[in-house]
Amino acid sequence: MANPQQLSLGVSLNDDATFDNFYAPEGSSNAATLELLKAQAEGRGEWFIYVWGRSGVGLTHLLQAAGHRAQDAGQAIQYLPLREVVGFAPEALLEGLDQLDYLCLDGLEAIAGKPDWEEALFHLFNRMRDAGGRLLAAAVQGPRELPIELPDLHSRLQWGMTCQVHPLSDDEKQLALRHRARARGLELNEEVAHYILQRVPRDMNELFCYLQRLDHASLAEQRKLTIPFVKKVLSL
Amino acid sequence: MPESVWKLCASSLQDELPSQQFNTWIRPLQIDAESDPGLLRLLAPNRFVCDWVNEKFLHRIRELVSDFQSGQVQSVEVGIRPRSGMAARRPANQPPASQGYPQGQPGTGAAFSNPRPIKEERPSPPGSASSRMGSSALAPESASSGDLLGNSSAQVEVEGALKHKNNLNRSFNFTSFVEGKSNQLGLAAARQVAENPGGSYNPLFIYGGVGLGKTHLMQAVGNALVDKNPNAKVIYLHSERFVADMVKALQLNAINDFKRYYRSVDALLIDDIQFFAGKERSQEEFFHTFNSLLEGGQQIILTCDRYPKEINGLEERLKSRFGWGLTVAVEPPELETRVAILMKKADQVGVELPHEAAFFIAQRIRSNVRELEGALKRVVANAQFTGRSIDVDLVREALKDLLALQDKQVGIDNIQRVVGEYYKIKLNDLLSKRRSRSVARPRQVAMALAKELTNHSLPEIGEAFGGRDHTTVLHACRKIKQMQEEDADIREDMKNLLRSLTT
Repeated sequence: MANPQQLSLGVSLNDDATFDNFYAPEGSSNAATLELLKAQAEGRGEWFIYVWGRSGVGLTHLLQAAGHRAQDAGQAIQYLPLREVVGFAPEALLEGLDQLDYLCLDGLEAIAGKPDWEEALFHLFNRMRDAGGRLLAAAVQGPRELPIELPDLHSRLQWGMTCQVHPLSDDEKQLALRHRARARGLELNEEVAHYILQRVPRDMNELFCYLQRLDHASLAEQRKLTIPFVKKVLSL
Repeated sequence: MPESVWKLCASSLQDELPSQQFNTWIRPLQIDAESDPGLLRLLAPNRFVCDWVNEKFLHRIRELVSDFQSGQVQSVEVGIRPRSGMAARRPANQPPASQGYPQGQPGTGAAFSNPRPIKEERPSPPGSASSRMGSSALAPESASSGDLLGNSSAQVEVEGALKHKNNLNRSFNFTSFVEGKSNQLGLAAARQVAENPGGSYNPLFIYGGVGLGKTHLMQAVGNALVDKNPNAKVIYLHSERFVADMVKALQLNAINDFKRYYRSVDALLIDDIQFFAGKERSQEEFFHTFNSLLEGGQQIILTCDRYPKEINGLEERLKSRFGWGLTVAVEPPELETRVAILMKKADQVGVELPHEAAFFIAQRIRSNVRELEGALKRVVANAQFTGRSIDVDLVREALKDLLALQDKQVGIDNIQRVVGEYYKIKLNDLLSKRRSRSVARPRQVAMALAKELTNHSLPEIGEAFGGRDHTTVLHACRKIKQMQEEDADIREDMKNLLRSLTT
């Protein structure tokens, strides 16, 4: 299938974000969400999924991961961070996207209350549905609470599979951090992870930034992640 | 004599019925001045209204007539107003030669009194754009395969634009539609149109809020037409698509192909026509398409989120034409219908949904069917993921975020405040022991709402209303339920309060 405007805005998929390095506690509802997203990305399952959760729960990661998986399966996809493109004319931006196999819309809240965007998305929704495409949307609020003013769009957003991505507990964050470190080929033991978590802001995005710094430093200095090393690198 | 009796009857019915029902069914009835003094003969604008009144209201009208006089009027019947405006003497149930609306529209009358059956085949000049577009509409597979036969590139592109399948979703049929009070009328109208396309209910205009089944009904008609005649050219599309196709045709200088295409259909189904608002060129084009289809006796079905007259940015002539056929409203489904919808949906996906679980969902999700379907999806996914069967506990868990939020939003104190403001009484009075009707009724309303909208136990609700017993709450709920059936005011109050509390 033709691939109109794919990633044409310089908006690209982040290589780091995959399903494999997204930590979801076993049996948790996040794990269930992950399964639903995998199925969708592979062209099975739901045609429309709406994921939501507060900032830092990993929505962007999930959307990017879904994009990767779909792309690997040879599908025409686009990931669109609405926060960044909301200043453009929606008709122009969204034109032809209904021909894609898979569209990931990140940050739906950015267009809430913007009539031109709401209407354009409403039409896109209908067209994608008619054309048999698949849609993944993410927002910081559930579809019911998202302040969409166009009732036609609002009700459609509530129509699909809605998944809340839940924030992790501190213990789970520690596991997530170790999980991500392992995915980078970095050994982070429980004690050190605990040490980090007790001392830095516990937002997942922040935690992963710290991890990245540690990864770079560890590579540069050929050092393992020990408490003294972490203390030094992160100036704790 | 019948005239004065009818006036009394009508005013009683106005008190008894919700205003929308009264306006839809009773208000259009006219008295046949030429009938015998002993006969009250009422004339409906069309067969549909006539049948409906006969079925639903005739019994009550007869009761009222015998209450209001002593024997002068012996019988009551409802017939159809003849198009000429002259009263026809015809027994109520015999179909008239012509069926009312529109009255005496020049050039269109024939189409209405002589409904044109869908043709087996519609020959068109070989090689013409319209014939190929036509055939593509009849053959979804070839339409989606994308191979085009045209010669000139402009023609090819226009075909490309127009060449969409009929777009009917086969799952939107009459069997899968769940009937309830809220959509009874729309369903009956849709069935009529499916039976007799291009007949009196042309256009069929279905309006109502989002997610209430307008598209389903509309497509059910389309599917029924195709079932009856697989060669029928039925096109369903969203109004936006019509606009886009037209713009494309204009750009490619192929507007004539566009016209031919849309005027060649047996039935044209356009969804959400409110999106025509402000698009003047499209309205103009649609206006002509509309007229051409009506004249040809081809069926038009339109949906909209509001009553035709209320669409801003739409030309008056279109608004008035939309009302030529039959205009029906669909309302939000009531609790029983919501339960039935859930049960049916679950059945369709082969999932066992116990009645209590369906009830639990339906009680909490009331705004529209899409949200209901979304909730069910969530529940089914949870059941599959956890390997558990569906029960109220699983539903509660699956919808936790949704329900928790709703509970947060609608607390008892919130309900008390809103009800107090609505009836203009003080919170203290609402919670007091006073039993005067002006306070007791709002209090009962508030209790009933608290039971319906929160997950609090009855003792908790009683406690929150000045330390009352849970039997008092139970009594209040029963009372309000009963009153809602009997009293239009209370029904209206509850509707308004529910709306302001849940949206």
